[in-house]
Amino acid sequence: MTIEVFAVLKDYFQKEFQLQSSAKNISELKLQLTRQNPEAANVLDLCRFAVHDEFVDQNFSINPNDTISVIPPSSGG
Amino acid sequence: MIPSPLSRPAVAADLPFLSAEPLDLVGLLAKSHHPEAGAVVLFSGEVRDNDPQTDVDYLEYEAQEAMAAKSIKQILDDACEKFPLKIALAQHRVGKVGVSESAVVVITASPHRAEAYSANRYIIDRIKHESPIWKCEYFKDGTKEWGGNCNCQKITGDANKHVYEWTEEKK
Repeated sequence: MTIEVFAVLKDYFQKEFQLQSSAKNISELKLQLTRQNPEAANVLDLCRFAVHDEFVDQNFSINPNDTISVIPPSSGG
Repeated sequence: MIPSPLSRPAVAADLPFLSAEPLDLVGLLAKSHHPEAGAVVLFSGEVRDNDPQTDVDYLEYEAQEAMAAKSIKQILDDACEKFPLKIALAQHRVGKVGVSESAVVVITASPHRAEAYSANRYIIDRIKHESPIWKCEYFKDGTKEWGGNCNCQKITGDANKHVYEWTEEKK
């Protein structure tokens, strides 16, 4: 699957990368990303996830061809 | 024909919600007049340099652009349902924004000023908390810091629930 990260997460991950993952839902993906980069755990914990530009919850099922955005808390304005 | 209360002038419909170019506050205001609006409120959120330790050189704004545009549109639509607005528009910068430049503009126009002020505050408040847009401060000493995050979920326990400055008017 394709993962895209934003803002402070770019200090921990590439902006966009392909991830080999057997994660079946967002919750498992979050765990995998946290294991891959434990230093990002605190930030990942506050993030929302979006699949194909729509916010989804932790139980949302994901597929290998999905593009998933990891969205930190907003800081616009 | 009586115009629908939700109808907006072309300026709002055609305006991109995100801009990589400087925001044209004067141009946008010039187009934000409506014969039934006795009040026009323009809010400009601007880059300030008030960090006592390190001088801010500039900010850089990043967005999940598709989602940020959709979010701003939804917030404006919600504002038009909630308030008797004749005009509601908002535009946010992406990319590098210097001190004293505008990072976000919100214009609201309504028959009377109370609604124009309230709606304007409602819109900017929601954009800041909800729209997937982030700022990074770049300091003159070469360091940077992603900052000013919405941290409402520490209070509400839910990433989708926020504590807004804007509140319903108490009658």
